[in-house]
Amino acid sequence: MTQQLPAPQSQRIVLPPHRQRARRPRSVRTREWIHRNLFPSTAGTALTIVSVTFIAALTVGIVWFVFFDANWRVITDNRWLLFAGSFPHDQEWRLWAAMGFVFALIGLSYGMWSSLGRKDHLFIVLTGIAVILFMGHGGAAFWSSLWFLLSIALLFLGYVIARTIGHDRARQRSLLTRVILLRFAFDDAFSLRGGFDKTVPIQTRARAVRVALFPTRTGANRIVGGLLILALPLVLVILLAGGGASMRELDGFVLNLLLAPVGIVGGLVIAIPLAIGRASKLHAIKWTCTAYIEIVRGAPLLGWLFVALFILDDIIGGDLIIRTMVVLAVFTAAYMAEYIRGALQTLPHGQYEAAQAVGLSRGQSLRLIIMPQALRISIPPIVGQAIAIWKDTTLVTVILPLRELKGNADSAIAQSEFIPDRIEAYIFVAVAFWIVAFIMSRISQRMERAQGIGER
Amino acid sequence: MHRSLLRKYGSSWRTGAIVTLVAILGALALVACTSSDEQDSAAGRGNTVQAVKDSGVLKCGVKQTQPLFGFREPDGTVSGFDVEFCKAIQAALGDGVGLELVDASDASTRFELLNDGEIDVLIRTTTITASRDRELGVDFAQTTFYTGQGFAVHADSGINATSDMGGRTICVQSGTTTEQNLADHFTDLGLDFTPLGGGDQETQDAFVAGRCDVWTADQSNLASRIGVLDNASDFVILGELISKEPLAPGVRDYDSEWKDVVNWVVHGLIAAEELGITRANVASMAANPPNTTVARLLGVSFEGGEVSTLGFDSVNAQFIQRAIAAVGNYGEIYANTVGDAVPRACSLNALASEDKSNCPPGTGGIQYALPYR
Amino acid sequence: MSQQPAPQLPDPARTPLFYQRGFRSVLTQGIYVALTAIVLAYVIASLDLREFGFGFLSEPAGFKVGNQWLVDVDGVTNSRITMYLVGVWSTLRAVLVAILLATLVGVVVGVARLSSNWLVARMAMLFVEVFRNTPLLVQIVIWYAILLVGAPVIQNVLNVGDFLFLSNRGIAIPWPVPSDGLWGAPDWFVGIWVLALIAVGAVAMRVRAKRQEHERETGRILFANRWAMGVFAAGALISFLILGVPVSIDRPVIEGTSYAEGMLVQPEFAALVLGLTMYTGAFIAEIVRGSIQALPKGQTEAANAIGLTGYQRLTLVILPQALRQMIPSVTNQFLNVNKNSSLAYAVLFDDLFRVATIVQNKAGHALEMFFVIIITYMVISFAISAVMNVLNARVTAHRI
Repeated sequence: MTQQLPAPQSQRIVLPPHRQRARRPRSVRTREWIHRNLFPSTAGTALTIVSVTFIAALTVGIVWFVFFDANWRVITDNRWLLFAGSFPHDQEWRLWAAMGFVFALIGLSYGMWSSLGRKDHLFIVLTGIAVILFMGHGGAAFWSSLWFLLSIALLFLGYVIARTIGHDRARQRSLLTRVILLRFAFDDAFSLRGGFDKTVPIQTRARAVRVALFPTRTGANRIVGGLLILALPLVLVILLAGGGASMRELDGFVLNLLLAPVGIVGGLVIAIPLAIGRASKLHAIKWTCTAYIEIVRGAPLLGWLFVALFILDDIIGGDLIIRTMVVLAVFTAAYMAEYIRGALQTLPHGQYEAAQAVGLSRGQSLRLIIMPQALRISIPPIVGQAIAIWKDTTLVTVILPLRELKGNADSAIAQSEFIPDRIEAYIFVAVAFWIVAFIMSRISQRMERAQGIGER
Repeated sequence: MHRSLLRKYGSSWRTGAIVTLVAILGALALVACTSSDEQDSAAGRGNTVQAVKDSGVLKCGVKQTQPLFGFREPDGTVSGFDVEFCKAIQAALGDGVGLELVDASDASTRFELLNDGEIDVLIRTTTITASRDRELGVDFAQTTFYTGQGFAVHADSGINATSDMGGRTICVQSGTTTEQNLADHFTDLGLDFTPLGGGDQETQDAFVAGRCDVWTADQSNLASRIGVLDNASDFVILGELISKEPLAPGVRDYDSEWKDVVNWVVHGLIAAEELGITRANVASMAANPPNTTVARLLGVSFEGGEVSTLGFDSVNAQFIQRAIAAVGNYGEIYANTVGDAVPRACSLNALASEDKSNCPPGTGGIQYALPYR
Repeated sequence: MSQQPAPQLPDPARTPLFYQRGFRSVLTQGIYVALTAIVLAYVIASLDLREFGFGFLSEPAGFKVGNQWLVDVDGVTNSRITMYLVGVWSTLRAVLVAILLATLVGVVVGVARLSSNWLVARMAMLFVEVFRNTPLLVQIVIWYAILLVGAPVIQNVLNVGDFLFLSNRGIAIPWPVPSDGLWGAPDWFVGIWVLALIAVGAVAMRVRAKRQEHERETGRILFANRWAMGVFAAGALISFLILGVPVSIDRPVIEGTSYAEGMLVQPEFAALVLGLTMYTGAFIAEIVRGSIQALPKGQTEAANAIGLTGYQRLTLVILPQALRQMIPSVTNQFLNVNKNSSLAYAVLFDDLFRVATIVQNKAGHALEMFFVIIITYMVISFAISAVMNVLNARVTAHRI
């Protein structure tokens, strides 16, 4: 690939003078908008009135519930239970370290491959405030709030660093260049004669240091990509290694946050060969892959979790959490494989032929030509499935002896003083899941836009 | 193989069919070869005492949603009557054995947890029944708690006995003995009823909300749950019991040694109460045992004599002593966890040796330890 | 096949065996199948199959299940398999009702998302975002909690004109029940009435087909549907006059703390169906929106140009075309309703999954019960797919 062209600036279309209309005053425009969108006709007006009444009633109801009726102490008193459950208290720092790491990584990835818009900043700040209010509400949560703030700060730090690197146009930079740059920045400072050369501006020195120490954009791409791939094992290491929690002490929301990525990543890894197998010309391979996909998709996840509990222990053994992760991956894979197969089918046949024509082997053409395109097309449904599996992690509570967020909410409302507050507890759970699902769908939209899906 | 044949059928469905058929036959042959030794090893589930010591973790299945018996606290820990017995068994197994309290709240899956080795011992208000003992492959130790199936009703409902419950909606936990007793009892009475079955917590919520007229469960369960409600006086627990519900720890079948350890830890804690050994005085008693019975129970020598191990070598003779030191005797466990919520005096759970002169006729304890000698 | 001469290939006899496509194919498949067979063999060998068998299903159940409708099974004399079938019946009911309601909700919300009314479109978007991005399990338990706490207890039942009752024990509505015919005939007489109705319906369909055919041939408008409905109404009236009133409407009444007569929609059922409806409805709404947006803009403009009203434009032009595109995705959602109905486990609804776990808890045999569960869900899924395929074939029969 050659040097990438700079993205064209969005061009404003300038109409010739005789077709330009005078820009009407804001008040007129607003009135027109209201007329067009809310009161276009009698029926439309009636619809608007009904909607306004409904929205008003709903808002009043929600405000009354949230601020006057609900007893949120069921959440605030059980913060730890809901978040981490039986995770050992003296190892709390591990949770925060993992959180900081993940947040920083999110910031880095965003800075590297996308950008935060005004809405994103607003969302992060609002969510942060909401979380801190919750943590601060009726309890000594000073340190937790501080840790959380630090994590958000890390997110922005990662973002800023990635953006800075993003401006770097160099593809690679040798060690020698870096040494020279550093010498330029500090050489005179350590020289015996004269000390600092004040004629060199401090910004120039800082820039030299930054360029010398930071990776190039290509290098940073590799580093962040590698970190993303290793993120899950790294988080597990932070949580478990060297006297941390035992596998079974992973609990509460932490468990949801760990199960879902395993299901998603594992599912994708299994799904790709499965999809290729299903599209294969070799009948034995095609049949088994089809059978796998159809059987897994034929039964509910609850049924497969039943397998994790009762049947898989005879076959692969291991801790129940591991088996649950395996089942989640195997389950997700069947759905993702179908989406990827759909994408493979929509690829024009010319792509296969062209790959063959330039002399690529079957494996090469799959790896270099077919799969990148198929995966790109299937991003939206795959993210949809990822969100589905994220929500489905609640199901492990239902028959498995694992307690995730919903299960721990059940424990919280079993406490005698909170028995009447089940709706509050469940709404909190729903909101917690919604936030993460919302973030996932936003990232998906970003990826779609960045990849130019639907434009081609 | 003939080349023209290969060209002709190279990738047709027929080849696929033949190859698949061969593969299935091969798989069956492999199964036939390997299954015999596999099943032999599955028959003996191995030695849990050794397995627990090797892994360093005792996995104990307990409830997490029943106040007083097994209940999850806001800090994530689990406490209650059943949990104390888990701790006692953990202590009996010696130093270096940790305890993992596995959630066995769901009545419908608890025996599979045990059978699949997810837990080593199930201490979760589980009734001893013949079918569980035989059909489900569970072995039961000494009863830790005697109760019966009772009924709770709304105070203003006008229901005084099960004979008043014809046509009513009754909340009952799925997958329990109470579910079966209920069906049997109403068949015997010739009455109809509408069951509403589900999880432990869900049935309670439905009853409290007025979804059902009657809530049936172990009477101790009803008492412990209703006792902690803010509006406890709105509900009445009927005196009528329709069944015997001896609640006991369960272990896997075919593991005699492990069952013996669990069983004798329970007996040992009861014996400790009978002998007046408490958590506070167990150390001094062990240092200076008053009689041979105490010395044998605590696994120490009496006046310089030999220590009798009674064959409990794998956990060494002092396993009961360690259990008492960890959680106290049976009476202490009862007082610390259940307490007055389910009164012990004159109930079946009182010691058989208690003074019954103050008890109403027909009541009194039956709890006593089998001889440890 | 084309009539071109085959390209000159190298003589297969001279190509080494290893490089021949046929040999390669067989070799690859052979190795693959052998590996699969080894894995399968390992799996089967690891399972504990000593007591494998389904005999336990015919033993007495020993428990009773709730929310029975049209069946009455006590559990003491009935077998485990009977109880399981009662659970299957409960699941089927919930799935069917949820599918119908979810389709309705999905179409309405999907169309509303594209409404020109800004408020309506925003509300529809909010609906989709909320119900699509929260776990169904949590939605169901929230619905159940709202129904239990929000509805009055039976002592303070909400009585709508002795016609409809609402309490946290459910909603009771009037329901038709078989009753004696005009000449005091027994219950089975209802069967004859039903048969008569079916016959009349068949005649009406025949009339419709005839008139439609005629319409196509002559181009004259013959009002096939109106004629068919008229014929059916007339036939139904005649059979009604001859056979008397074999069906009466039962109004619900309250006896003590229970509903009697009428039909009862229990809160457990309602919570499950509400959850499934809203969740699936949100997904279907997105499918409907996508399918409508995928239509060429000219369709809307053309409909406007020939002077159709908004409603006509939607029902005559837009939805029929969008339907062709959305049926495969909607079928997937219907299959999800079937699978997600297993979440009834979280409320006190005895669906097939819960009954299966109860049986499994009483008798062991986890592996067998698992097969039973999986096969049941697959059969239901297959039935749904079959119906939808027929529908799809009908919708796409005429190419646009």
